[in-house]
Amino acid sequence: MSGARKVRIWDLPVRLVHWAIVLIVPAMWATHEYERMDLHILLGQTLLGLVLFRLIWGLIGSSTARFSGFVRGPRAVARYLAGRGGPVFGHNPLGGWSVLLMLLVLVTQVGLGLFAIDEDSLNEGPLSHLVSYETARTLAHRHETFFYILLALIAVHIGAILYYRLFKRDDLITPMVTGRRAAGEDEAAMIPAPWWRFLVAAGLAAGATLLLAQYL
Amino acid sequence: MKHVLLGAAALAAVATAAYAQRPAAQVIQARQANYKQMAAAVKGINDQLRGGSPDLAAIRPRAALLADRALLVLRWFPHGSGPQAGVQTRARPEIWSDRGGFERAGAGLLVAARALNRAAQSGDVAAIRAAMPALTRACSACHDDYRAPEH
Repeated sequence: MSGARKVRIWDLPVRLVHWAIVLIVPAMWATHEYERMDLHILLGQTLLGLVLFRLIWGLIGSSTARFSGFVRGPRAVARYLAGRGGPVFGHNPLGGWSVLLMLLVLVTQVGLGLFAIDEDSLNEGPLSHLVSYETARTLAHRHETFFYILLALIAVHIGAILYYRLFKRDDLITPMVTGRRAAGEDEAAMIPAPWWRFLVAAGLAAGATLLLAQYL
Repeated sequence: MKHVLLGAAALAAVATAAYAQRPAAQVIQARQANYKQMAAAVKGINDQLRGGSPDLAAIRPRAALLADRALLVLRWFPHGSGPQAGVQTRARPEIWSDRGGFERAGAGLLVAARALNRAAQSGDVAAIRAAMPALTRACSACHDDYRAPEH
């Protein structure tokens, strides 16, 4: 494969958001575990901004970042699972759903945290003032248990990467770092998005995050 | 007059003994409900202080509740209402083995809650704001030493 043609597959924003989430999620666990809730809340707001950005980028980003490019119907998923799907560039039909599910689980988890409060009312999510103490406590408990759903999804994600590496001889990690993968002569490459779209998506995400976290 | 005083003292002794003699489960339950009300009151005050125009009518009863409960906190921990009661409680044995330290922590809470309540009843928002950190510090100071972690 050393002489194979390399083409772009993941743009820089997709990769940066991906690896930032990889760093932030364990950091959020640790800041809770070691009772640094000030940092936990700050990281949560950062994560919220990143996930919002990724959702917007899924609408206006490069071809492989777009939901319209990789969220496929059940028949496409079934064909892929049966091995009759043909070659895929970017997320495959099953992986596409796992990306969407991961983003939804992250949004839900951060959303619960926004309204949560600790039992002593010392640390509060930036939107907890909109609900009662009892509701904020209930949401804090949900926030704690929902983390296991996120953990399960991460386990499936890592499991899938290992499966592809070991059984299909397909390295998914390197392209997520370098943004490039080997491709056949006839395979298309990613169609990048113009840089100003990145500014639009980043501006919208940052604005929405600040509004949610600071001013509501 | 002397009879009245004696009567009052006897009544108080009986009341305290009665509280102490309630089943530990009831004492622990009531204690936890009281602390939850205090935490809810702190949240209610913080919620008001967040906005630009805090509602004193919402702050005052909560500050009063905190001052009232702060006076009672030490009584919520009669002997036998610790972990040995067989009921879920995060009250640590140090509450009883280090009673002096525990009572100092309780006194610290009372001072902070009364300062907050004075500020609230006077209607001075800046003073209310200034009184909150001392109150939450008093909460944490006691919880750090005398309350077991959640898990």
